[in-house]
Amino acid sequence: MFLRFVSQSIRRSPRRKAMTVAAVAMGTAVATAMLGVMLDIGDRVNRELRSLGANLMVTPKARSLPVEIGGISYRPVSSQDYIPEDQVQKIKSTFWQLNITGFAPSLNAVDSLGGRNVPVEGVWFRRRFRGDGSMLEAGLRTVNGAWKVDGKWVEDWDRNDVALDAMVGGALARRLGVKPGDTLQLFGQRFTVTGIISTGGEEEDRIFVRLEVLQRLVNRRNQVDAVQVGALTKPEDEFARKDPAKMTPKEYDRWYCTPYISSIAHQIEEVLPMAVARPIWRIADNEGKVLGKIRGLMMLITLAALASAGLTVWSVMATTVLERRGEIAIMQATGAGNGLVAALFSTEVALEGAAGGLIGSWVGLLLAEWVGRAVFQTSLDIPAMLGPVVVGAAVLAAVAGAAQPLRRALLLEPAVALRGGE
Amino acid sequence: MFWNFVLRAVHFRRRRLALAFAALAVSATLATALFSVYSDIERKMRVQFRGFGANIVIAPSGGEQTVPLAAVALAEQQGAVAAPFIYTVGRVEGEPVVVAGTDFRRAGPLTNYWRVEGARSAAPGECLVGSNVAAHFRLKLAQKLELEGAPCTIRGIVSSGGAEDAQVILPFDTAAQLAGLPEGNKAAASLVQVRADGQRLASVQAALAKQLPGADVRLLHAVAETEANVVLKLRSTLFLLTALILAITTLCVSSNFSALVLERSKEIGILKAIGAAERKIAALFLSESLILGVASAAAGYGVGLLVAWWIGRQIFPESAAAGVGVNYGVFLPVTAVTLAMATAATLAAAARIWRIKPAVILRGE
Repeated sequence: MFLRFVSQSIRRSPRRKAMTVAAVAMGTAVATAMLGVMLDIGDRVNRELRSLGANLMVTPKARSLPVEIGGISYRPVSSQDYIPEDQVQKIKSTFWQLNITGFAPSLNAVDSLGGRNVPVEGVWFRRRFRGDGSMLEAGLRTVNGAWKVDGKWVEDWDRNDVALDAMVGGALARRLGVKPGDTLQLFGQRFTVTGIISTGGEEEDRIFVRLEVLQRLVNRRNQVDAVQVGALTKPEDEFARKDPAKMTPKEYDRWYCTPYISSIAHQIEEVLPMAVARPIWRIADNEGKVLGKIRGLMMLITLAALASAGLTVWSVMATTVLERRGEIAIMQATGAGNGLVAALFSTEVALEGAAGGLIGSWVGLLLAEWVGRAVFQTSLDIPAMLGPVVVGAAVLAAVAGAAQPLRRALLLEPAVALRGGE
Repeated sequence: MFWNFVLRAVHFRRRRLALAFAALAVSATLATALFSVYSDIERKMRVQFRGFGANIVIAPSGGEQTVPLAAVALAEQQGAVAAPFIYTVGRVEGEPVVVAGTDFRRAGPLTNYWRVEGARSAAPGECLVGSNVAAHFRLKLAQKLELEGAPCTIRGIVSSGGAEDAQVILPFDTAAQLAGLPEGNKAAASLVQVRADGQRLASVQAALAKQLPGADVRLLHAVAETEANVVLKLRSTLFLLTALILAITTLCVSSNFSALVLERSKEIGILKAIGAAERKIAALFLSESLILGVASAAAGYGVGLLVAWWIGRQIFPESAAAGVGVNYGVFLPVTAVTLAMATAATLAAAARIWRIKPAVILRGE
């Protein structure tokens, strides 16, 4: 009987019901689309910010102070300070390995070219290696997404390839007048220039060659001087600034298991005990600030949208109950108890809320997906829980909206209500 | 008589109308807040990117070792922030260290990311030291640093994760003397860092390159492009979301307004039965909707500005002085959209007035 009443009510005025459901669906769609975009925009922007370059620098624990201007060292290199090249890929075996988007080992040397000392860096350009069962990539190209190259990158997939290829920084290339395809005399060998690198930074005055080639030429096999690391991090907060040495074990665990720049640096030092990992604050700090602003902004906007979506659903439901005061009065007049009438209406309203919520969350997810594709060219990573949670919220908002007018209608004398008064 | 009728209608159905009013006001609020935030977001985000420091570097080119100091003034004429830097090698206790010199006042905005213990600038006879230098020579604040040729008192310890960590940083003139660079007209720097407004970056770079033919004026691609990219993407996300939300709420509100007319079929029937012209009835409903529309647009505008102001204050407190992201100009578009919405919805529903047959309606079908 109860169920029949509800289904009859829905069947008898399909038009009005459809409008109510549509209104709920629209409110839910707004909420879902905003939430979907908000929940993932931080990660998307974080990835965009990685094109700034490395935010961590790993260097050997030095016994002496580096004296270096523009890549040229003014003190003979102490051969004791280095990171073994075969250990470098351990960076990808730390707890936060998935947050490390790239790393690039390099070895520094200086050679005279055109009457001036020029820094030469031996690097991995793009190297594949096997780690944790999958093939991983590392090298300059994985860290510096914004570098512009005129010509071609050096291909160093194969570590046994000893071709004498070089890439030259833009400023140096202009000074020397070299173009891609020209040759250079370095360490008494003829190098072929494959490409010119423009970055605007110090790299413009350097020459880049294969790491193995430079190691052989300066006789420092298996050694690297620095590793640049690019990592996706969580912006620093109060907690992150605490000194890990003074944390309680519980706090330490929480710090260790959060991708703060400092905890990632700490984990790199754990796998590379001969090295120190330092955040490059110019990048790391500002990255965190920008990210924090964007996250906060999206959160508040979403909050505003959620509030208005909730109000919309609420007002629609209040309207439907208000319109049906006559019906309620008739039910009461024919002997239905207040509890029964309330149960009937709440069920109906909840059903409408659920139907609208389902349609709305589906549409909202599609819209969020569309925004993600239009702006970031990749689909968004939306948590599976979002749909059910939003539907639940829609039902709640619907019932809440109906509650107050329903109570008023029930308290009204049927005779007064049927006469059309207040 | 006409207005009396309208006002009475509003009065008698105030509860029902209050709900319609609320729905419309909420959407006007959301529209005002989102447009307000959207119209200002680019400027605000670009301010955030200032923290990354320079986006143009003026470096020596060709056989030169230095750039003329005049480059700083030229960059400032372009409305950019610029600071000269000098790098040389000095000696402390017989050991070589890198000595940097800069104009602290000018370099301040470019070196926000330095984490400093103590002061951020040094007067003549004072200096800042990098954290590695401090650790290496076991130096503390207020101690004397025995730098050959320019002994100084340590006012701050800098840690940046970059080259500064291994440098002693002096006031520009002191470092210039130490490096043996010329003074006066021929004064020069090792390099000049420039921070130009993101939107004018290309033109500032072009102008500087033209005025300084002997130097290499380079764009720092990583900073410039990431800034442009992130700002663009955030803007388009906000734009799409604002448009979407507006479209959805418009739909929602217009169905609400149609309902306002439809549920009064009986009244329409009575009015027609006692001889009212359809036009007149439509005008009646339209003016009712317009009153509602204007009222809710005004209310929504007020609340929306408050929301925008609150969001601005929460997220960008530092730009509070420069107006907190409230854009008064959104009033007209918001009112126009709200009124158009109310009019269109009412007119669409009002078409029924012509089709209603009083006899049929009043019989209760």
